Amino acid sequence: MKHRLPSTVSEPAPVRWTLIGIALAFVIITLVLPLALVLSQALAGGVREFWGALAEPDAQAALRLTLTAAAIAVPANLVFGVCAAWSIAKFEFKGKQLLLTLIDLPFAVSPVISGLIYVLLFGLQGWFGPWLAAHDIKIIFAVPGIVLATVFVTFPFIARELIPVMQEQGTDEEEAAATLGAGGWQTFVRVTLPNIKWALLYGVVLCNARAMGEFGAVSVVSGHIRGMTNTLPLHVEILYNEYNAVAAFSVASLLMLLAIVTLVLKTWIEGRAHRQVGAPVMETVR
Amino acid sequence: MPFKQLLAGFALTLALTAHADVTLLNVSYDPTREFYQDFNAAFARHWQATAGEAVKVNQSHGGSGKQARAVIDGLEADVVTLALAYDIDAIASASQQLPADWQTRLPDNSTPYTSTIVFLVRKGNPLAIKDWDDLVRKDVSVVSPNPKTSGGARWNYLAAWAYARETTGSEDGAKAFVANLFRNVAVLDTGARGATTTFVERGIGDVLIAWENEAYLATAGKAGAEFEIVTPSISILAEPPVAVVSKVAAKHGTGQAAQAYLEYLYSEEGQTLAAEHFFRPRDATVAAKFAGRFTDTRLVTVDEAFGGWAKAQAEHFADGALFDQIFAPQ
Amino acid sequence: MSILIDNVSKHFVGFRALSHVSLEIPTGGLVALLGPSGCGKTTLLRIVAGLDRQDSGRILFDGDDMSRIHTRDRRVGFVFQHYALFRHMTVFDNVAFGLTVRPRRLRPGADEINAKVCELLTLVQLEGLAQRYPSQLSGGQRQRVALARALAVNPKVLLLDEPFGALDARVRKELRRWLRQLHDELHVTSIFVTHDQDEALEVADTVVVMNAGRIEQIGSPVEVCEAPATPFVREFLGEVSLPRAEAATLVRLPAKTPSPEVFGRAAP
Repeated sequence: MKHRLPSTVSEPAPVRWTLIGIALAFVIITLVLPLALVLSQALAGGVREFWGALAEPDAQAALRLTLTAAAIAVPANLVFGVCAAWSIAKFEFKGKQLLLTLIDLPFAVSPVISGLIYVLLFGLQGWFGPWLAAHDIKIIFAVPGIVLATVFVTFPFIARELIPVMQEQGTDEEEAAATLGAGGWQTFVRVTLPNIKWALLYGVVLCNARAMGEFGAVSVVSGHIRGMTNTLPLHVEILYNEYNAVAAFSVASLLMLLAIVTLVLKTWIEGRAHRQVGAPVMETVR
Repeated sequence: MPFKQLLAGFALTLALTAHADVTLLNVSYDPTREFYQDFNAAFARHWQATAGEAVKVNQSHGGSGKQARAVIDGLEADVVTLALAYDIDAIASASQQLPADWQTRLPDNSTPYTSTIVFLVRKGNPLAIKDWDDLVRKDVSVVSPNPKTSGGARWNYLAAWAYARETTGSEDGAKAFVANLFRNVAVLDTGARGATTTFVERGIGDVLIAWENEAYLATAGKAGAEFEIVTPSISILAEPPVAVVSKVAAKHGTGQAAQAYLEYLYSEEGQTLAAEHFFRPRDATVAAKFAGRFTDTRLVTVDEAFGGWAKAQAEHFADGALFDQIFAPQ
Repeated sequence: MSILIDNVSKHFVGFRALSHVSLEIPTGGLVALLGPSGCGKTTLLRIVAGLDRQDSGRILFDGDDMSRIHTRDRRVGFVFQHYALFRHMTVFDNVAFGLTVRPRRLRPGADEINAKVCELLTLVQLEGLAQRYPSQLSGGQRQRVALARALAVNPKVLLLDEPFGALDARVRKELRRWLRQLHDELHVTSIFVTHDQDEALEVADTVVVMNAGRIEQIGSPVEVCEAPATPFVREFLGEVSLPRAEAATLVRLPAKTPSPEVFGRAAP
């Protein structure tokens, strides 16, 4: 299905190569070099020190917390994203535009503000503070707060991937399924889901990457209690602040690994989506 | 081998949480990381021997003001060990989690060790920085944390002000001097440790205004040979206090352990550890042992130079007060 | 099954789609809703199917009020203008869909489904294409799959929304005749929507001419041509002139095997 522009239409070769060269140089300087640097710094003290930094109890705790936050945030946003995208694409209702704006809110708001919102809501001096304290429920400066902050900043990813795809696909297939006697859930699982699966997967991958790498919002609600409320990014900061650059880079290389895996998955998904059976074919007039 | 280490790491964390009979959270300011790592281990041994309980102390570090704010907002600290009395006063008044007279509950105004403000410069002191006057020179780039969030930065500011007031003879002169000083500041980090990292690791700036212990840590560290300490003619006696957050400790049932923890700071072992980490110990005997470590200089206190922290905070660091006026029109 | 549309009205924001439309369709009838764009014919069809809700009035199937009944329980077969085939399923799975979503106790066994699907594919002359995907079929083939899929659930009424609108002229002509033939064989009550006068007149027993949300005339093709009830009908059908001699026999086309090209096979 790939179309190559014939040479009569596209730019002359030197222009093409210059453009490609610039793009490549940009990618190498801003992505490849820093990643290579992280790895080289991490291994500067030898493999032993590298593993030592990762095996350290506080690092382990940080890894567990990061994984936990992502494990909760991603499914939660998956459900929310699908519901929101479904409502927006399939229904007409008052406040649709408002919902769209709200979905984009976490992108517009600084992550620090995102974290602050939760402190103002659930902190001891916040709206719900006294009630929470009375019932001994810890949200801020504990794991729930971190999860909430993570959910908030990764809110939009899945919804925004799905909405254009679902809008473009329209409601015809779902209506057809309804006329054939399918219930709501059956329609969703057998008709809608297969049609959106690549967009969904793409959104999940992005959502996960952001959930694991979030710093600003989590930093505000964390409390920075070593071994308990520090995620991987926060732990990297702590190590760095203790003049422990090698350990900081070692832990950072975990995040770097995540970045690479994310990129690989993303590329694979894009490739599969292009080759998906059922992609629109030009109607041939017989 | 590395895999075994990972397993050991997991096991250790599990073991610690499973076996600790008492858990304390110490919310501290920035430069005390290394000190409390050692002190907590020492206290754990002491508590095990005397009370027969296993105690685990969790640590949280950050800019003093920021940490105080967190405790006010509900970070459940059993003890707070912050940079200045004002921050603990703020916790008392804003959230009533400890009594207003907390500072009388432990000896020496609840300050087991003191420190002061010095300058850290690059090896060889290429810009020949000797005293506060040199910091307002056009060719000097200064690194200091932000007085709004960092306790250390507030000591920096007051030390500079005290010097300037004496040399210029007036409050207005001091204000102008401090304004010029902060105009030379390249980066305002939130905490003292951030500023130190900026200067030491990232190589920004010509002089770092730092806690004495931070400066000594830097020179004792890996790249220590690249830095020198310059002690100014006048500096301030920094008294970082400690307190039990009584409401939280009562809720957790850790009151006894928390009190013992802070009292242990005054013990010989506690004082020795403090001195080893470049804090000036209160105990005379220990101080004598480490006499050569610290440079003598004229130290003024907040009370004598500024009428106490409450007054200083209101005049200088409150919203719209002198620091805001100095720093705002940039 | 007979359908009664009783005084149905519907308005969307800003305009009236349907105004007090009443219509009766006898069992086994083949009715065309004919009119220009925006006259409300598709809206009416969708309301009968349950895909849209009327603002007032009732839809009755064999005397039963369908207002509370959801689309999935109305046993209608709907053929969409743009086919609405399930793009990620094979032709076979598309046709079998309606049978496989039935609740367990009503669901036929795999063999039965197999047999039914094959039967239908033969009926629409697409036997060899069961494992193809919709993207691999031509427009005409897709529409026939859509029809087979709708018929698989033994619908009580067949609703077709401009079924041949997206196809080219020659294919349209062939499929028209073929639809009529199918109807004669199966006798399912059918309503189809079109803006093409020729199509309506050729295929339907009864033509319902609509304009601006109202019914202008209901009658046999001959009636609406020869005795237009309103100026609009006269104008709309004006260009179609039926020679008198053919008029009486127009509705029933001689049974004829459609040419192979229509079904995607090469001409002999």
